Amino acid sequence: MEIKNIAPPILVLILFLLVWSFAASLYDMVFLLPGPLTVAQAFVSDFELIVGGLWITFQEALYGYLLAITIGVTFAAIMSQSKILERSFYPYAILLQTLPAVAVAPLIVLWFGFDMQSVVIISLIISLFPIINNTLLGLKSTSINLVELFQMHNSSRFINFFKLRLPAAIPNVIAGLRISAGLSVIGSIVGEFIVGSGSEGGGLGVMIIYAQGDLETPLVMALILTATLLGFAFFMTVSALGYYLLHNWHESEIS
Amino acid sequence: MISVSNVTKHFDKVHALAEVNLDIAAGEFITIVGPSGCGKSTLLRIIAGLVSTNGSVMKPAKGAFVFQDAALLPWRNVQKNVELLMELESVPKAQIAEKARSVLQQVGLTGFEKSYPHQLSGGMKMRLSLARSLVLRPDYLLMDEPLSAVDELTREVLQEEIHTLWNKDKFTAILVTHNVAEAVYLSNRVVVMSPRPGEIIHIVDVPFGDDRNQKLRSTSKFTKLVSDISGKLRTWK
Repeated sequence: MEIKNIAPPILVLILFLLVWSFAASLYDMVFLLPGPLTVAQAFVSDFELIVGGLWITFQEALYGYLLAITIGVTFAAIMSQSKILERSFYPYAILLQTLPAVAVAPLIVLWFGFDMQSVVIISLIISLFPIINNTLLGLKSTSINLVELFQMHNSSRFINFFKLRLPAAIPNVIAGLRISAGLSVIGSIVGEFIVGSGSEGGGLGVMIIYAQGDLETPLVMALILTATLLGFAFFMTVSALGYYLLHNWHESEIS
Repeated sequence: MISVSNVTKHFDKVHALAEVNLDIAAGEFITIVGPSGCGKSTLLRIIAGLVSTNGSVMKPAKGAFVFQDAALLPWRNVQKNVELLMELESVPKAQIAEKARSVLQQVGLTGFEKSYPHQLSGGMKMRLSLARSLVLRPDYLLMDEPLSAVDELTREVLQEEIHTLWNKDKFTAILVTHNVAEAVYLSNRVVVMSPRPGEIIHIVDVPFGDDRNQKLRSTSKFTKLVSDISGKLRTWK
């Protein structure tokens, strides 16, 4: 990466930290607005605690995300096979998006218990729709000439899907995965807020609630930052996957 | 041979093709010319079996279609693109590599095996599209304005290459174009169609042998025939 690419965002970061420090020094109340250095200290002193929470939230988000990918791509693949299937199921996919996940969470706890699996399911619900929607869009946008080409050579539905529709849809699948990467982490935090601690210590969301109760605002901020970076890491991983799959041929990744 | 009888086509309220009857001998090169929207591409798609019709089309088993935009798979490199139709037609795996190598050499794409379609020029894409079809040794080849997107110079070079490839394999060829000089250069017969609803208004025999080259274009016979056919197209309007 070249200097001129990294320099601008770093400058913005420095500027942000300066403004933040200045604002914090004006208030001078650690539990209201701790400065960046205080938050950094919380990071160091509570490092093991944070890593423990990160590990739990990471697992919840990862499982939720992987389930969302599996279910979302499969569901979209099924709907792409016929107009009737699509018309029958797509409205419910939309409802899944408009479903207030936070409000449904108590029901999920009722059904699946105060446990990690409930958090995973909430993360799944929140991150599912963008994957379904984008994958379906991609599977339906295959160039008509290519469809006709395959038709000319008697390709089966199966061959059509795996040699034509799916590869052609990869840019859209990746777009869906990128949106859902952050959502899966958000879903886990929301889930933890409602489901609560679980058996061992709990994840970042649970810790945020406890730390807030103790007025440990620097720790709250350190935890929020950790969760944000976790979502960012998910996003970057998917972006790397997207680059790997697309850089040879798709406009979005050709350098 | 290919036999088209009583072929008509309506798209909802649009009467695309009136009634088309056409017999094409095995190994013959036929070009269909006509004004935009006359249904010549529709006719080609009907022959290909991609569009339904009330009439009937008799044709040999093995055919291929060359699309206007080359219709390559952008995620496959040249090698994988040239193998595509062989995969779909279940050509034995052991033969695929050798056939691909030989056909790429024929169309001058040796050395580009690892390139992706976006890295190729319009002419190279079309060569690849032709190679992918011809490697199947088709009985007939349908081409829908394959050269409309390439520059004039490349266009003439590709016409010569198509002529050479046809001369070598003698597949039955049907080409759709609105370039009359291209039609005359390549064909045994030129079929002239009327505006919508399309029907055949003239079939012009092209009296040149099967051994054509660049020089033919500047002969007076050639230019006269081109202007005759252009005239036939124009008088209809």
